[in-house]
This record gives sequence, C-alpha cells and structure tokens, in this order.
Amino acid sequence: MNLTRDRMHTIGWGMSLVICLALTLALTFRVNAVKSQVRLAERQIAQLKQEKLFLETEFETRASQQQLKAFNDVDFGYSAPTVGQYLESERQLAALGKPRSPDAPDPIRVASADAVNASVRTMMAVEAKPSSPFAVLGMGAKPEPAAKKAKKSEDISEHLARFSGRTGQNTGHRE
Amino acid sequence: MNTLAAGMVDKGVILQGQGAEKARVLKNVRALALAQARFRALWVLVGFAMLLLLALLRIAHLGLSDPGRPGGEGMAGLPDRGDILDRNGVPLARAFPAYALWFNPRAMGEGSPLVRSPADLAAALVKIFPDEDVEELTRRLASGKAGYLRRRILPEDANRIHALGEPALEFPREAERYYPQGTMAAHILGYVDSKGMGQVGMEAVFQKQLTDPATRGAPAVLSIDARVQGALEDELMWGMTRAQAKGAAGIVMDVDTGEVMALASLPSFNPNALRPQDISDSDPSKQANIFNRATNQTYELGSVMKPITVASAIDAGIITNLARRYPSDHPLEIAGITVHDHENYGASLNIIEALIHSSNIVLAQVGDQLGAQKMQTTLKALGFNERPYIELPARGRPIWPRGDKNGVWSRVTTVTASYGHGFSITPLHLASAYSAMVNGGIWRPATLQKIAPGQAPAGRRVWQASTSARMRQLLRSIVDVGTGRSANAVGYRVGGKTGTAEVADAQGYHHDRVVATFASAFPMDRPRYVVIATLDQPKANAATSFQRTAAWNAAPIVGRVIPRIGPLLGVMPDATRDIDISDIAPLIANGDGE
Repeated sequence: MNLTRDRMHTIGWGMSLVICLALTLALTFRVNAVKSQVRLAERQIAQLKQEKLFLETEFETRASQQQLKAFNDVDFGYSAPTVGQYLESERQLAALGKPRSPDAPDPIRVASADAVNASVRTMMAVEAKPSSPFAVLGMGAKPEPAAKKAKKSEDISEHLARFSGRTGQNTGHRE
Repeated sequence: MNTLAAGMVDKGVILQGQGAEKARVLKNVRALALAQARFRALWVLVGFAMLLLLALLRIAHLGLSDPGRPGGEGMAGLPDRGDILDRNGVPLARAFPAYALWFNPRAMGEGSPLVRSPADLAAALVKIFPDEDVEELTRRLASGKAGYLRRRILPEDANRIHALGEPALEFPREAERYYPQGTMAAHILGYVDSKGMGQVGMEAVFQKQLTDPATRGAPAVLSIDARVQGALEDELMWGMTRAQAKGAAGIVMDVDTGEVMALASLPSFNPNALRPQDISDSDPSKQANIFNRATNQTYELGSVMKPITVASAIDAGIITNLARRYPSDHPLEIAGITVHDHENYGASLNIIEALIHSSNIVLAQVGDQLGAQKMQTTLKALGFNERPYIELPARGRPIWPRGDKNGVWSRVTTVTASYGHGFSITPLHLASAYSAMVNGGIWRPATLQKIAPGQAPAGRRVWQASTSARMRQLLRSIVDVGTGRSANAVGYRVGGKTGTAEVADAQGYHHDRVVATFASAFPMDRPRYVVIATLDQPKANAATSFQRTAAWNAAPIVGRVIPRIGPLLGVMPDATRDIDISDIAPLIANGDGE
C-alpha cells in the first residue's frame, strides 16, 4: 500500500477531526453531568429550605410573644428594667471602676439599692479586687470562709456576665 | 495387455471426467455457502452497526439534551403567597405547606370505605385530636362523603393517623397561610379566606403583590415592630381586664414619619383558626372581634382634644399670655348651654392649670374666643373631617357636625368641640394629631408600610414649631403634676392628656358608659413616639379605686407600655434629663381633675 504525501495529510486531518469531535463530545457529556449534579443539589437545597421553613415556623410558634408572656408570667416574672438599671454612657460604666479615694465616704450605691441588688452587690463586694470595676463596692467588707467565698464567686461571675451583657446592650443604642 | 491397458485408460478418463464435474459442483456449493455466510455476516454487522449508531445517538442525546425544566427549581422556591414581615424581618404571615386530613371514601373501591367501624375510628381520632367531637366525626365518616376532617395537622399527628391503617384517610399537603404569632397584630394582618383572597387587613391590601409570581418572592414589610406590638397588646389586655372594659384600642406611632409601630384592638381574633363569631357576633349590640376599634370605631374622645384647642389658640394668637386667668368657679352659660367642670378648681385658672385640671369651663372660653372658622381649619388640617389615612380597608368615617349652609359651625358646636364633644374621631386620627402637635407642627398620614430613612412624606404644617414646643411643655406638665401622673414612667419624660367622655349615640349621651383615653408622647425633650390607649366602657371597680376616668384606667396602661417599648425603640430612660419647663413652672399649681 503506497502512502503518498497527500494521503498522509488527509488521514492526519481526518484523525485530528475525529479527535476534536471526540473531545468535544466528551466535554459536552462532562458539562451535562455537572449540570445534573447542580440540578440535584438545587433540588436538595429546595428540600432543605422547606425543612428550614418548617423548623423556623415551629420555632416562631413556640417562641411567639404570647408563649413568652405565658412563660414569663408563670416561671420568671421578669419586668421591664427601671431607669436605675441603665447606664447613659461608657463614661458612667467606666466610673463604676474608679478607685475609691482614701477619705471617701462609704459607697451609698449599696445603701440605696433595693434588697435584691444590695445582697448581690454585697456579694460582689466580697470578691472584688482593687483593680476590678466593682472595687468601689468592696471597701470595708470582711473576709469570709473559703467555701462560702467559692460559691459566691460563681454567683458573682454570673451576675457580672449578665451585667456586662446588659450594659453593653444599653450603651449600644442611643436616643 | 495393451487393450486392457487402453481400456483401463479409457475408464480412467471417464472416471477423471466424472470427478472434475463433481469437484466443480462442490466448488459451486462452497462458494454459495461462503457467499451466504458473508451475506449473513454483513447483515449481522449492519445490525450491530445500527445498534452502535443508535447507542451513540442515544448517548449524544443524553449528553446534549437538558433534562431539567428551565427555572423549575426557582419556581419551587417561590412561595404560593408572599410573606409579610415586621420592620425587623420577623415573619408575621407566611406560606406554609401543611398536612390536611382528608376523608376519601373511594380509596378502597367498592364496599365499605373503612376497615373498622366509623365510631371506632372516630374514637381513635379523638385520642389524637382531643378537641374533636366523637359524634360529629362518626357522622361524617358514616356519611360516605369526601371532605376535610381537619386541616393543618402536625406531621407527628399525620404519622399517628397513618398508623391506624385506614386507606380512606389521606394527608394531602396544602399551602396554608400561617401566622406564627397567633392573635398578635390580627387586625393589621387580617386573614386569607378559603379562596385565597386576603380579607380585612394588609392581606387584603397586598393581595396582588403577595400573589403575583413576579413580586411574591419578595416579602411585604410592615412598619410594625413585633416586640412593640406584643408589649402594647399585653398591657392593653391588662388594662382592659383590670377595668372590665368592653374593648380597648392602642396605637404607637413614630411622630416624624407617621409609621405605625404598633396598632392593637381588643378583643382580637386568631387568623389561624377563625371562628364564625369572630366575623359577626350573634348579639347585634356587640362588635365582632374582627372590628378594628383603633381605625374603624369613632368616639367622642373628650378632654384629649383640649391640648389641640389650646395649640390652635396659641398658634392663632388668641392665647398670648399663659399667666392670664380665666374664671372657673361657676358653670359657664354660653350660647344657651351650661358648661360644667368635674369639680370646682377655684375662682380662676390659667391655661396650664386648666389643662392640668382638665377644665371644661376654661377651654369653652378659649374655644369661644378662637371661633368656628379657626377651630374648623385646624381640625380639617388634622384630617378630622375625613376617614383616617392608613392602608387598612377598615377606616371609620368621623362624625363631623354639618354647620350652617356654608359648613361653618354654630357657637354651641364650636364651644363643645373645644373640650372634645360634639364630634367623633377614631383613635388613629388622634394619634396623627398628637404626632403633629409634638413633632414641630407637621401632620403626616399614618402608614403601615416601612419608610426608609429620609423618605418620610413632607406632610402639611398645622401649627408653628414654636407652638409645638410650647405644647410639649404643657403636655409634660399634665403628666408631671396633673391627671396623667400614673403614666409618668420614670426617666422617659412622658407628656400627655387624659380624656373621659360619655358614650354618645343616636339616643344621646349615656351617663353610665364612658370611653377613657390617654394620648401621650415621649420623650418630651425630643418627641419620638406617640402612644394612645383607649378603653371602651371601663367599669369602676376595686382595681381602679372605684374610678372610671382615664387617669385611673387608661393612663396606667401607657405608664406600663412605655418602659417596655422605650428601650426597644432606642429611647433610653434617663432620670437626669427632662424638657425645660422652668419658664412655665411658676404658673403651675398641683391638683387633680379630669
């Protein structure tokens, strides 16, 4: 069989064409395979969205205003915070941690606070160190037994967490 | 030998000739068989080639074609009806695919549709839904008619019913309208009827937007704040129960934009489970729960109108000196009627004292001096002669006195209007008017749609800014030392006015029935929100110290609402801050009144 130069060219071009066609076909198949995966993922997303809607709706129903009110009326009894529980500015917050001067009178904050706050603050006073923001409340407190101290320490850290959370929120919004 | 040999040769030739013939025949047979075999092989080859081509074509078709519907997944994500959100994105109404319990008597083909008896099945269903009636269910199951046994059932209940093994009980999944907050903001939202049409509230207003595929993907956002709405409804319910009132209405409005932050009417209804009595009460003398007292019911609101009269008089130059004293110790005969006060507040009162004590006698004199023309101009500018401006379909038409042929009121009408009688408006009218009174004098229409910052409507000027500033001082004084003291939430600088008016209808005034209202704004040093609380026919009982005036029943509601909503709305309490009333302080004497 004589393979002339022209014949070689023809076969070469033909082969190239076939290879290109095969590659195009393979690429197209691949693209469609990915498309199918995307479509499957979209279907899954739609399903999950539906699930999410269900869960969200259930949560909103269980945490509706009336439910929360019922919980509060029966279990917690929280009421709106009063003016004394708000701090106007970061400056006021910082003032809580001001070290007490040597000749300062006894802090009146504890004396004027209501019974619950006073007891909490007395506890805080026991634990507070001079560098703590509540050091001002701790002056004049007597040391207590270590076990009792440890229990109160937990209460205080809880209270501090609540307090810092609240003040953070309050000072975050301005009129 | 030769002959034999020759004969043998001949025989051999003959034999040779026969063999050649045979061989030729054999050769032909073989060629034929080969040709046949080739032919068959060719067919098989062609068959395989066709199959290969078909397979290749199929693969190419599968590879090139797009099996999914264009936009199919997108449509699947689109709700059947758009959501309604509050201003912070809390869903108030949403499309929810819920299960229904459907009785299909044809599920089993011929014969009895049920495996067990209707009574047994009804008893089993009542164990799952204790609020259902056994007899009613038995009747419906025995009737053999297809229909809903119950709509909107929980998935776990559907599973329990499935476990009963009744093929006739089916659980079609249906797009339901669900209100996660239940009765909250029911009058604002309305409900969707069985035909998918929004009714009563914003469901009706947004019907097209919520159902059009082009727009329903985006939720409708209201101006309402769900937290404020909840607090207002809570406290209104507290006040209504405490005073044994027939109904109550409350509004919280942004004074600078007219956005309604909360709007409540009690008693309310649950749009998730609407009852027939919610839509029309069997007793015609009672309003159905669906009736919106805040926007649809008109009341003669009484003394809450007095600050409006005073503002108009200050604005018109009738009141130029707050220290001027008006006689107040005798009932005032004016234009043929006698004007009384709740009690005798002394020989004379200045304007501030008149507001603090809520003196009809003094306000009648101010109204008389102001005159019908100016009074009517102000009240018209406040929109008191037309239905309130709000998107809701339920908007009550005020009762506006006709006047003479030119529409000008008589002297009697003007005088009675000056202390809030002789015409009726809705609580929403009052909220918009008080917003204008404290915001610098600009009236803006109320809206339930959220307004972007800086996009508030221009509104119209009713009073000068200086008048508004003066009124803020006066309103604060009323709460500080006057009839509104029980609304004085510490640190929130509340200002407002009480109003108690006898219920008026076609039969005249009813002495045994009153409407008590407290209209207020806070904080008065920079007013942000107006709060209105109205009680319909409160009773005098031990809880209200045997009083039925607004100071004892409506004002305490506002006093409890504001500390709850103030911080949520960005108004922090501050006991060290207040509006400066030092210039009018010398004119104020303490006292009570209504």
